[in-house]
Amino acid sequence: MTFFNSEITFFIHIYLLLILGYAILIMSSYLILAHLSTRALKEYLKKNSFVDYNVLLTSQFAPKLSLIAPAYNEAFTIEENVKSLLSLNYNNYDVIVVNDGSKDNSMEILIKTYDLVLTELDIQPKIKTKKIKGVYTSRNAAFKKLIVVDKENGGKADALNVGLNIAQHPYVVCIDVDCILDKDSLLKLAKPFLESHGKRIIATGGVVRIANQCIIKNGRLVEVNIPDLMLPRIQVLEYLRAFLLGRMAWGRLDGLLLISGAFGAFDKEIALLAGGYDTKTVGEDMELVVRMRRYMLENKVPYAISYIPDPLCWTEAPEDFKIFKKQRSRWMRGTIETLSLHKKMFLNPKYKLLGMLSIPYWTLFEFLAPAIEFTGIAITVVFFIFGLIHWHFFLLLLLFVYCFAIMFSVIALYSEERTYHKYPKQIDFFKLLLAAFIEPFYFHPLAMYAALIGYKEKIMGTKGWGEMTRKGFTKK
Amino acid sequence: MTKFWELYKSGVWVEPFLLLSIFLFVTTSFILYLLIIKSRSSNIRKERLRVEYGILIEKLLFSIVFQDIPFSGISEDPEYRRLSKNSFFREVLMEYIIDLHKNYQGVHAEKLEEFYKESGLINDSLKKLKSMKWELKCKAITELSELNITSAFKSIIKVSKGRNKTLKITALNAGIKLAGTKAIIHLTKHTNPIDDWTQINIINAFKKHDIGDTEGVELLLESQNTTVIVLGLKLIEELKLTQKIPYVTQLVNKAPNTLVKYEAQNLLQVLSI
Repeated sequence: MTFFNSEITFFIHIYLLLILGYAILIMSSYLILAHLSTRALKEYLKKNSFVDYNVLLTSQFAPKLSLIAPAYNEAFTIEENVKSLLSLNYNNYDVIVVNDGSKDNSMEILIKTYDLVLTELDIQPKIKTKKIKGVYTSRNAAFKKLIVVDKENGGKADALNVGLNIAQHPYVVCIDVDCILDKDSLLKLAKPFLESHGKRIIATGGVVRIANQCIIKNGRLVEVNIPDLMLPRIQVLEYLRAFLLGRMAWGRLDGLLLISGAFGAFDKEIALLAGGYDTKTVGEDMELVVRMRRYMLENKVPYAISYIPDPLCWTEAPEDFKIFKKQRSRWMRGTIETLSLHKKMFLNPKYKLLGMLSIPYWTLFEFLAPAIEFTGIAITVVFFIFGLIHWHFFLLLLLFVYCFAIMFSVIALYSEERTYHKYPKQIDFFKLLLAAFIEPFYFHPLAMYAALIGYKEKIMGTKGWGEMTRKGFTKK
Repeated sequence: MTKFWELYKSGVWVEPFLLLSIFLFVTTSFILYLLIIKSRSSNIRKERLRVEYGILIEKLLFSIVFQDIPFSGISEDPEYRRLSKNSFFREVLMEYIIDLHKNYQGVHAEKLEEFYKESGLINDSLKKLKSMKWELKCKAITELSELNITSAFKSIIKVSKGRNKTLKITALNAGIKLAGTKAIIHLTKHTNPIDDWTQINIINAFKKHDIGDTEGVELLLESQNTTVIVLGLKLIEELKLTQKIPYVTQLVNKAPNTLVKYEAQNLLQVLSI
C-alpha cells in the first residue's frame, strides 16, 4: 500500500510539473510575442507616419487588384455592401461578387440595382469549381468595376476559387462581403507588394476589429463603440490581444500561418500554383496561407508575407452563445484540418521557421490547449473527489493564472492606447477593463467548450459551416 | 538532477514562486493602468493646448501674411514671447506654418519662409537633421523642403544615400522639390535595387512638385543598375517626355537584358501614339 501511495504521489508530481511547465511555457510565449509585437508596432507606426499612401492613388504603376467577395443569402445588405466596395480609395481595382447559389433574392437585387446584363467572359478555369450559371457586368459606366458571377452553391472556398479563376489582375483581395472596410484599406494592403526586398510578397493581411454597436453610415464606420453585451465586448478585447500582441509578432518573425478570411490579399499566380482554396476544409483561409508558404519553401523561392497592423476591416462578432459556439467550433475544425493536412511540416527543418516554430506553436497552444485544459479540469475534479487537493495551493494557482490573464489584457489595452487609440471614450476603456476581469470566468470556459465541440464535430465527421446568422450593424 | 527533483518534490518553492508571480502580475497591471490613465490625460491636455495655441498661432500668422507685420513686431507680443521657448508650442507652430505654406505661393509663401528663418524654427529643423534618430531627420527634411530651404539640399541628398528606406524616400522627395532632377542623378551610380515603392514615390514627387525641367532624366537609362533604368523609363512614361525618345531608342539597342529591352520597346510604342 505504501508503494502504491508513493507511486500515486510520483504521478501527481509529474502531472503537476507538466501542467506548471505548460502554463509557464504558454505564458512566456505570450509575453515574448507581446514584446516582439509592441516593438514591431512602434517601428511600423513611426515609419507609417512618413508614408504618403496617396501616391498609389495617382499612379498607373499601383498594383492591380481584384476584390473577390463571396455572397450567400446576403439580400438584406448586399446592395449597400457592394456600393461600399465600389467606393474604396483605389484606382487599379475591380470587384468580383460571387453569388454562391443564394436561396434569397440577392441576385435579383444586384441585377436591378447595378443594371447588370449577362456577358461573355473568356474564362479558362485553373481550379475546378461548381458550375457557373452566368457572369454579369453593368450597363452603367459608373459600375464598370463590378463583375457579378452567379454560380451553383459550393461553399465559401468554392466561390473564392471561382473569383480566382475569373480575376484578371495579378493580385486578389479576398473579403467577406458583410465586412466594413476602411476607405484606405486597399492602399495599405497593396503597398507591401511593391516592397519586395528580393523576396516575392505572396500575401498581405490586415487587422480585423469588432464593429458591434459601432455606427455605420453609407457603408463606412463613423463611430467606434464598445458593445454593451458582454460576449461581443470580450471579443473586442480578444481581437485586440490576438492582432496587436500576437499576429504582429508572427508577422515580424515571418511565421504567420493565418491571414483572416475577412480581409487578405494574395499573389494570384502563387495562389493558383498552390491549388487555390481547399473546398474540403472549413479553415480555408489558414489552409491556403500554409499551402502557399509550403509551395514557396518546397520550390525554394524566396518569399514573405506582410502583415499590416492598421485596423482595416470591421466585422460583426456573434452576440449569442449559439452562434458563437458554431463559429468557434468551426475555427477549431479548420485548425485541426489544416494542421493535419500539413502534418509533414511539423518539426521539419526543411520548412524552416514555419515547420520548427509556427506549426508546433499552433499545435501546442491553439489545437491542444482546450484538450489540455479540459484534462486539467477533469483531473482536478478527481483530486477533489479523492480529497487530494491542497486548497491553499490550488487557490494560489488559480489566482496566478487569473492575474496573468488580466495583466495580458491590460498590456493589450495599453498597446491599443499608445498606438491606434480607437476607443477614446473613457467609458469604453472602463468597459474593456471590466471585460478583462470577467473574461476568465465567463468567456474563457465558453470558448473552451466551443473548441471541444469542434473536436467532437471533427471526430464525428461534421462538414460545412452551418448557418451563421448576423444581426447587422447599427446604421445612421 | 536528483537534487532538482528533490527540491521540486519538497514543494517549498511553490508558494513563494506563486506569490511572487502574482505580485509581479498585479504590479505590472497596476502600473500599466496608471500609464494608460497618464497617456489619456496627456492626450486630452495636448488637445486642449493645441486648440489654445492654434488660436494664437492663427492670429500671428495672419498678421505676418496679410498685415505685413515684421518678425520684430511678432516677437514683442507677450504671449508669443512667453510661449516661443516651449517645445510643444514650436511644434504646433511648425505644423501650422507647413499647412499654410502648402496653400500659398508667391509673396505670401515667402513671408512664411522668412518667418521660419527669423523665428529660429529653421535652427530646430537643422538640429533635427543632425540627429541620430532617423524619424527626426525625416521630420527636419520635410520641414526644410516644404519651406524651400535650398541651402539644405546637399545635406538632404547626403541623407538620401543612407540605407533607411523611409528616410531615403523622404529625402529624395524633398531633394526633387528643391532641385528637380539634380536630386536623382546620383542614383545612376546606385548599386542596390530600388524597389517599386521608392520608384512610385520618386515619380509622384516629380508630378506633385510640377518639375518642368527634366534635363538629366535620360542619364538614369545609362545606369548599370536595372532598377534605376526601369525608374528612368517609368519617369519618361509618366511625365510623357517625348523629347527623350532618342535615348529610349538607344537603350533598346544596347539594353542590358531582355526585360529592360521589352520595357523600352513598350515605352517607345506608348510615346509614339
